[in-house]
Amino acid sequence: MKKGFLATLMISAGIIACQPAPQAAKEEHKNTFSKATTQKTSKKSSKEKEFLKALGAQDKWQKACSNPVQVAPEGVDVTKFIEEMKATIKYPADGKLVGDWKKGESLALLPKEYKALYGRKGGSKKGNCYACHCGDPRIIACGNIGPSLRGYGKKGIDPKMTYDRIYNPWAQVPCSTMFRFGYHGLLSPEEIADIVAYLHDPESPINK
Amino acid sequence: MKKGIFASLLGGALFLVNAEAPTPEQLKILKEMGVSPADVIVEEGRDYYHNLKGTTGKTCASCHGQDGANLVGAYAKMPRYYTDIGKVADVDLRVKACLEKYVGVNAKGKKGRKYIVPLAGYVATLSNGMPINIELKHPEEKRLYEYGKELWYKRVGARDFSCAICHDVLAGKRIRLQKLGAPVRDKLYAHWPAYRISKDKLWTMEDRIRGCYKSFFLFNPEKGKFDFKENWVKKPPFYMEEIIALELYMKKAANGAKVEVPGLIR
Ligand code: HEC
Ligand code: HEC
Ligand code: HEC
Repeated sequence: MKKGFLATLMISAGIIACQPAPQAAKEEHKNTFSKATTQKTSKKSSKEKEFLKALGAQDKWQKACSNPVQVAPEGVDVTKFIEEMKATIKYPADGKLVGDWKKGESLALLPKEYKALYGRKGGSKKGNCYACHCGDPRIIACGNIGPSLRGYGKKGIDPKMTYDRIYNPWAQVPCSTMFRFGYHGLLSPEEIADIVAYLHDPESPINK
Repeated sequence: MKKGIFASLLGGALFLVNAEAPTPEQLKILKEMGVSPADVIVEEGRDYYHNLKGTTGKTCASCHGQDGANLVGAYAKMPRYYTDIGKVADVDLRVKACLEKYVGVNAKGKKGRKYIVPLAGYVATLSNGMPINIELKHPEEKRLYEYGKELWYKRVGARDFSCAICHDVLAGKRIRLQKLGAPVRDKLYAHWPAYRISKDKLWTMEDRIRGCYKSFFLFNPEKGKFDFKENWVKKPPFYMEEIIALELYMKKAANGAKVEVPGLIR
């Protein structure tokens, strides 16, 4: 018992990992810090510039959500916001909105979750659904930020609704904490269709 | 030495849990058990403070007094503006500046963190029991505070996150099994720097903020949409103004809370 706790304590890695080593310091000459300093400074400032570019990549909808309330857009018309978000949604070329649930499962689970369940490689960092949702009862380390997805396929929800909600949650709930997977290209249309199958298929562990 | 104490500490722990993260109660027990491994790191900082010499031949103690006599209470007012370096510095940047400018030690990069983190931890303990008091007197401090507030609410990156979404809106909820705290509302700055049990490391607030930014999936838009390999901008570099701005925002919110460091976190 005691050992178990210690082990989990030591191996448990949150969604936030520790930082990679910054560029290892260049060879060091005693008494000549000024030289080393200018070298490193120019290097670092390019990293700073890159970070600022990334911070500057805010789109107008994110901007509208950047207020103290956070989950309601400010200074824009909500109906228009939703329409604009809907217009971003793209569908798979073959028009199939329900794909392969097994592939969907591998996208929804982290590699370590997949390995724990099936003992083989699989999983992905892209979906990370269990950070916020519970669903497959075998996955106990699940978040409670979104509603449980347990039995989701039995609710009679239109798969297209599910597809849209994953592609761009902000087309249904502006400024939701669930991020816009398809809009940002985190998941492709085909991958989203696979996740839709994972949520809807009666054979999926979500509904079993 | 450090490892030994950590091992014996863990050996004596009696927890009956199988969850991923220890609860605050369990962390409290760990703390009450006496020797915190964090104290060993702080001791290391005290040792550097009195003995580390660089090209100038001076130690920290040469200027700031034996046992940090002249730095008592300083951490409670940081980050603040310093005329000798012409900018607002947090404890990390201040220690780094003193190491490079006055002691003559190269404190760049990862190697620098080896000195800076224990020294920052030591300097922070010199304010233990004193109330945090961020005054925002200098115009630069005011500017950075406002900037920090803006960054706190800024939804950005491929995950549409902001600090506030996790730490105001979702505070109290769980991401997986990790409970989200409310650093602003609950004045959590009071226990930073903190010892991270799971990593066996002392973390300053800079480390914490950089770690949280990693979850945003920030990306360089010049190279298209987010891609793990192509354009993921994981973290701001250390000592960047944006980090110090967020620290100023969170620490001002903690005004009045008594410094109690090093804290103990998962
Ligand atoms: C950052 C947290 C977060 C992540 C990650 C996340 N969701 Fe959500 N999800 C939410 C929240 C919050 C809601 C509640 C409605 C809203 O605010 O959009 C929600 C709602 C849903 C709903 C609607 C549920 C219902 O009963 O109406 C579905 C379906 C869903 N999420 C699926 C997923 C899938 C599949 C993934 C992984 C690809 C995922 N979510 C990842 C936060 C998240
Ligand atoms: C040659 C003298 C000198 C040495 C050596 C020196 N410092 Fe400093 N330190 C300064 C000066 C000057 C300031 C700025 C004081 C001010 O503006 O209030 C300062 C400020 C500080 C502050 C902020 C104090 C406050 O009141 O906010 C800290 C913390 C600090 N130094 C830590 C260190 C540490 C740790 C070392 C050793 C690595 C060190 N210093 C070595 C001169 C020195
Ligand atoms: C996706 C959610 C998420 C976002 C977004 C996020 N954090 Fe965090 N934050 C966490 C988690 C998880 C922890 C660690 C909780 C633990 O250790 O149990 C944490 C811890 C912290 C803590 C320490 C709290 C304490 O217990 O003392 C601070 C301070 C903090 N974050 C600041 C920030 C700042 C500043 C930002 C914006 C740059 C930010 N966070 C963005 C999830 C998030």
